[in-house]
Amino acid sequence: MNAVLEVSKLRKTFGGITAVDGVSFEVRDGEILGIIGPNGSGKSTLFNCVLGQLRPSSGEVRVDGKPTTGMRPCDLNRLGVSRTFQLLQVFPQLSVRDNLILAGQEHQGSMVSRLFGRTDAGLGDAVGRMIAFFRLAHLADEPAGALSYGQQKLLDTAMAFMAGPRLVLLDEPAGGVNLTMLGDLRDRLQAYHAERSATFVVIEHQMEFVMALCTRVLVLAEGRIIAEGAPQDIRRNPTVIEAYLGH
Amino acid sequence: MNRLAVAAVAIAVIGAVTAPFLLKSFGIYLISMWAVLTVAAIGLNLTLGYAGQISLAQGAFVGIGAYCVGLLTPAGVPYFVAFACAGLLCFGIGWILGYPALRVQHHYLAFVTLAFTTLVFLVLRNEEWLTNGIYGINAIPRPTLLGWSANSALNFYFFSLGMLIAISLATWWLLRSPWGRAFAALRENPIRALSLGLDTRRYTLMAFAIGSSLGGLSGALYAPLVQFIEPSSFALGLSFNLLLMVIVGGSGFFFGPFVGALIAVLLPEWMRIAQGYYLIVYAAMVMMLMAFCPSGILGLIERAIKAAAARGSPAARELSAEEAGP
Repeated sequence: MNAVLEVSKLRKTFGGITAVDGVSFEVRDGEILGIIGPNGSGKSTLFNCVLGQLRPSSGEVRVDGKPTTGMRPCDLNRLGVSRTFQLLQVFPQLSVRDNLILAGQEHQGSMVSRLFGRTDAGLGDAVGRMIAFFRLAHLADEPAGALSYGQQKLLDTAMAFMAGPRLVLLDEPAGGVNLTMLGDLRDRLQAYHAERSATFVVIEHQMEFVMALCTRVLVLAEGRIIAEGAPQDIRRNPTVIEAYLGH
Repeated sequence: MNRLAVAAVAIAVIGAVTAPFLLKSFGIYLISMWAVLTVAAIGLNLTLGYAGQISLAQGAFVGIGAYCVGLLTPAGVPYFVAFACAGLLCFGIGWILGYPALRVQHHYLAFVTLAFTTLVFLVLRNEEWLTNGIYGINAIPRPTLLGWSANSALNFYFFSLGMLIAISLATWWLLRSPWGRAFAALRENPIRALSLGLDTRRYTLMAFAIGSSLGGLSGALYAPLVQFIEPSSFALGLSFNLLLMVIVGGSGFFFGPFVGALIAVLLPEWMRIAQGYYLIVYAAMVMMLMAFCPSGILGLIERAIKAAAARGSPAARELSAEEAGP
């Protein structure tokens, strides 16, 4: 299978601290890769380096074989790489509908054609389908800031899918979400994965969520990959248990 | 727009058209000044209210636009060419002034733009070879449009009002397009916007450039209105006054600048009945408004309509669904 994303020997240091220490892995087309690890193991820094939010100290990132190291997040997004954030990131004063249009509009035409084109950038139908898919129809015209935390999390995820990305990086999608909403979220992620054969990378703490969703798991500790394998093997791996439970 | 908002705008337009017939020449001068400064306030509202980038440089752009027309039209350049030059020049300078906004935000950005205003003032005052320094430029002619002269006070008011309406419609179009949504995204969450493919750098520069060019167009109307310009009109005071208009009217509300400019231009004059104390009374009113309703007059009206809607009046519910300001 082809690699959608290749990360090789990625390092990121902040002053004297090495947050990511020579990490290499690849993400295969159509898989759901989970990345787990204790707090401070470098998961989010790794994401931010891959996605251009941070510039890696060394190493290389490729998307579909094309080098993207140091590319701006907006350009990377236009290559079909999308993300959600650990802390909620929606546009609170805009309606749910406008949040979703915003998530797709920069992929429609050019800046000039958007100025003279339609208000919804031709995304009205696509937004309607996305709202229905994430079961947010009754909230479509509410400001995003008025939604509950779990609903905003669903919206955040829906926004990441708006432009039809080939690779989606989800940073702790289950964080702070109650169990019912969590089931909903997992269900929607699996449905989207089945429908579009999209590729996901998921950073998560919630073990059950990772085990149920992911097809392969990487374990990160102190900025290095310490284990890799199928979810059920990872659960029994003594190195992983030690990293999580401490010394 | 729903019916109530359309009705409110229609009444405002009828009021704006009939007002000069009820006023003496100083009154007509004041409402012309309102129309001219509203254009600059619309520009600042776009930069600050929609895109969230504070600027204390709008008065400087009014000055650049005014000097552009004040220098070009007496040299024989047709008014509308000079008018377009003012807009384009300010667009270019505004674009460049946008670069600091890519690095600093909020009060740091306020200081950068404040320094720019001081710089423009010093150039206007000291570069006598170009600007005639503190003596200013006088006898700036008023434009003629296809044989119709805007020379009388009444005609010039209608000329300014026409320009204001044309510029408002263009701004309305811009803000209704996906650009308007992108500007709001800059204000609300630039990091998320960037991850959704929004080129925040280009949109930030655009927000500055377009807002500044409206400042320039306002200056291009200001010069033939007052017919005499000198540097101190465009010092920091004007920038603060324009900021006041945007915030008092309601930052991020489309009609905020219209209301804010009306208050900032007319209220000090009405307050003259309080004689020597009129500026004190005016300042106290502004402080009260800011303390109790930081979202400005339109924010206050929106709040009142929402409260009425909560009590179940259907007409009010309809209006509150509209005017989705911040």
